[in-house]
Amino acid sequence: MRMLLVEDNDELAETILDRLRGEGHSVDRESNGEEANDLLRFSSFDLVLLDINLPGRSGYEVLRSMRSRGDATPVIVLTARSEIDDRVVGLDAGADDYMVKPFDFRELSARCRVLARRRAGASSNVFAAGPFRFDRAAKQAHVDGVLLELRAREVQLLEIMLDNLGRMLTKEEVADKLYTFEETPSLNAVEQLVTRLRRKLGGTPLVIKTARGLGYMAYVSDDD
Amino acid sequence: MSATTTEPRRGHSLKRRLLASMAAGFMLLLLLISVLLWNYARAASNRTYDLLLAGAALSVLERVSYNSDGPTVDLPQSAMDILALAADDRITYRVFSPGYGEITGTPDLPVPDDLRPSAEPVFYDAKLDEGFRFILQGRQLTSASGREWVFVQIGQTLGARKAQRDTLFLYGITGLGGVSLIGLAFVWLAIRTSLAPLGAIADTLLARRPRDLSPIEGDPPQEISDLFRAINSFIAQLGRSRALTESFIADVAHQTRTSLSALQGQLALAVDAEDPERMRGRLGKAEQQAERTVHLTNQLLANAMVIHRSDDARLEPVDLRKLVRDTLAELLRERRLRAATISLEETGLPGGTAPIRGDAISIREALRNLIDNAVRHGGPDNTIVIELGGDDSAIRLTVSDAGPGIAPADRGLATERFTSINRKTAGSGLGLAIVRSVAEGHGARLELGSSALGGLRATIAFPRLLALLLTCLTVVAGPRGAAAEELTIWASTDRVAMAPLISAFEARTPGLTVAYREFQTVDLHRALLDVAPGEAPDLAISSAMDLQVDLVNRGLARRLRIPEPLQPPGWAQWRSELFGFTFEPAAILFNRDLLSRDELPTSHRDLSSFIRDRENELRGKIGGYDLRRSGIGYLFATQDTIQSVQAQRLTEVLGRANMRSYCCTADMVEATGRGELAMALNVIGSYALNLSVAHDNIGVHFLDDYNLVMSRSAFVPKTAGNPEVAEAFVTFLLSPQGQQLIDRDTVLIPLAPPMEDLSPAAQLLARTTGSFLPIRLGPGLLTFLDEIKRAEFLRSWDATREQQYGP
Repeated sequence: MRMLLVEDNDELAETILDRLRGEGHSVDRESNGEEANDLLRFSSFDLVLLDINLPGRSGYEVLRSMRSRGDATPVIVLTARSEIDDRVVGLDAGADDYMVKPFDFRELSARCRVLARRRAGASSNVFAAGPFRFDRAAKQAHVDGVLLELRAREVQLLEIMLDNLGRMLTKEEVADKLYTFEETPSLNAVEQLVTRLRRKLGGTPLVIKTARGLGYMAYVSDDD
Repeated sequence: MSATTTEPRRGHSLKRRLLASMAAGFMLLLLLISVLLWNYARAASNRTYDLLLAGAALSVLERVSYNSDGPTVDLPQSAMDILALAADDRITYRVFSPGYGEITGTPDLPVPDDLRPSAEPVFYDAKLDEGFRFILQGRQLTSASGREWVFVQIGQTLGARKAQRDTLFLYGITGLGGVSLIGLAFVWLAIRTSLAPLGAIADTLLARRPRDLSPIEGDPPQEISDLFRAINSFIAQLGRSRALTESFIADVAHQTRTSLSALQGQLALAVDAEDPERMRGRLGKAEQQAERTVHLTNQLLANAMVIHRSDDARLEPVDLRKLVRDTLAELLRERRLRAATISLEETGLPGGTAPIRGDAISIREALRNLIDNAVRHGGPDNTIVIELGGDDSAIRLTVSDAGPGIAPADRGLATERFTSINRKTAGSGLGLAIVRSVAEGHGARLELGSSALGGLRATIAFPRLLALLLTCLTVVAGPRGAAAEELTIWASTDRVAMAPLISAFEARTPGLTVAYREFQTVDLHRALLDVAPGEAPDLAISSAMDLQVDLVNRGLARRLRIPEPLQPPGWAQWRSELFGFTFEPAAILFNRDLLSRDELPTSHRDLSSFIRDRENELRGKIGGYDLRRSGIGYLFATQDTIQSVQAQRLTEVLGRANMRSYCCTADMVEATGRGELAMALNVIGSYALNLSVAHDNIGVHFLDDYNLVMSRSAFVPKTAGNPEVAEAFVTFLLSPQGQQLIDRDTVLIPLAPPMEDLSPAAQLLARTTGSFLPIRLGPGLLTFLDEIKRAEFLRSWDATREQQYGP
């Protein structure tokens, strides 16, 4: 994956670079907001790690100008301020995720992978995690090359969960996406559908976690 | 942590508080006295106005007599005049006898339950359409069949009593209020002097250096020695609190340094290690130590932030349900929560929301810490249940886990800083302390207990935000004017006479049309009594003042708000419900060809002699109203009998002179113009004056002793469909424009003639030397509406007129 790290602290930048490069990504680094903005204007990346307190131009401004250009590259915001206001502003400004310093490097890697998967799944039509493969175009899922028997609704649910990998979806949201306006979505049916799909995904690293009263979240267990 | 100095808020003045409590005392006293005063004022005003009722009852009883049909009464004018002393009150009365039933007046008025025949007056209150005060008094008459009781019952509305009571009360309370204020002024002075020593203490404290926390010394006055002690104990507390803060800083320094030393130690060992395996082991430990240090630092910062934010009191309305869901959705993305089974249960939230006053950032931090604790202490197959529930008064946020929990004895200790109950799973020792600080900052309680899962159950109970009462201001009335409106007027006045006023009013009010219906005075009175509520007119105008007063006295009229400067003189209004708007004297109309002005009489006494002397000459040539058919004629005739002892004589003279009676003014005026009549008596002056200007041969004559003046009056019925417009019309009639219009464009004469541009009629009136006696709108006009009285009056009128025709 091609990544851009925008971070002005050299020591922190060095460790992040080492870590990500060690995982096989190609990572560029910028320490100035203005320069990062110029770079983003002309080069494309798969993921941007963006610090907020930057010389030249703040991370939010860089993010905002990216989004206003229509640049949809996933962005993870890095911030040292733990008060939520900043985070909300960051997410509102179009960040896909945020992490508060000091962060766990394993958590950072995992978040990067989730975003990369979301993006890759959407662009290449194929989602792969360990032995699991899902081809969006053919609407077929394979485990170790063996076709998984999935009903149409289950395929639909799978697509929804993959689009929102690492994100909590409420039961109502799932029902809304799953059923058309004419159909009466039953929350019970959603529950049964999730249970069935989870059983069929047993043995794959793709996990659909249920938090009762809150909703569902899909994640890839290999990433941990 | 630094000690913060806060300015005392202005307005919390001790002096003012003392004064306020004294004032409250005074108010209480005033309240007690005012209750007594109120009762006294009511009793006194009742006593006063009961005398009116008693006087009226006596004067009616005096006129009760016995004739062939049984008891009868000749209602005296004085009775009504006595009652009219309470100028704005409505009157009701009746005379009845147990043996003969109702004799006159309003039948079936309420009587006390335990009525016993007695000559003593009985006073009582009863409610008709409004409150009335009644007198009931009896008298025994001797009849052929024995002695018979006759009762007079008179009721009067409570307006004057209430006004009198209010005045008495107001005078009393004003005086008392004044005395109280003077008292309070002395209290203020006393407070000022006695609080002076407090200033001295303030000066001492102000002069202090901030580090000086020694107790203040001095010999305080006895009364403030408590305060003195309290200040000193507060200073001592401040000292202790400062010591605590200092120890916290020391703790923080100790914890951070220890943690960093351990980290440094592990790293140093790793650097020195010869063996790569040992080095890896050291580094692993160093990383764990770094993680702990990070956690500790985060918690210390969170703790400081939470305390700082709760000091700031930045609580805002927050929906706890949404806040909890958002925070959990965010937390669940973290990898360390994946092993745990987490569920949210919302039970019994009234209205589906959990409104509280809170600081979202602090609450998020508290919830994060509770979940952190649950994860940390919950063991491998952890189940964490978050519950959100509540009732009308509190909202409870509960986090339960399946860990070992905290023994009841240790629970108090668990919320202290830097204490961890279990060494193995210990975190920073700040988690529950942070949660407690957040709870305290929200006026909430942190309760620790055992969960159904076997672990700890931590609950924060927030006070529920009381639903704000929205005062919905619904604008009911839309813009007016576009819709067509109709004003219905029933009147006993020529349409022609009113037309200029009506069209001027229509022109002023866009979209308004006036429906005008003409009646004879007596018919109008009957129609207004009989009309169904939905069909009542918006305005009733009549020249028969007595009949209008009768309708208003029955409580049929609505109170109008006429601006003060436009209000007519006292005689031309009653109860703010009935308003006169013209000034129409009764005049003598004469034919100049048959009579010359010089020979005309100058007073009522002379009038009788004048007619008697010319009896033959004037026979059949004198005109007057038919009292049975003309309300205005009856009004003038009855008022004459009150004003002049000559009235009876005049009636006889007129009878002998073969007076001709007319229903309407116009016929009478025309007959005079044609010479059929030599003179017409008591003609409504407005018509007469206008005609005299138009016809050379008609003269208008006023007498020197008195000339009765009638005013056309208007009221808005209570059942009117369009009362606002009707009120606007009455206001217009009384306004300078309306009055000028009456003067210039109608045959009527305004109440207050304008100073310039006098119409010919008004000029004539202004020149006339006659003394005008306006008939007063009020209960005095009710006497001759009494059935017996009226029948008697008309009978005697008939009788004197029939004399000359002979049997």
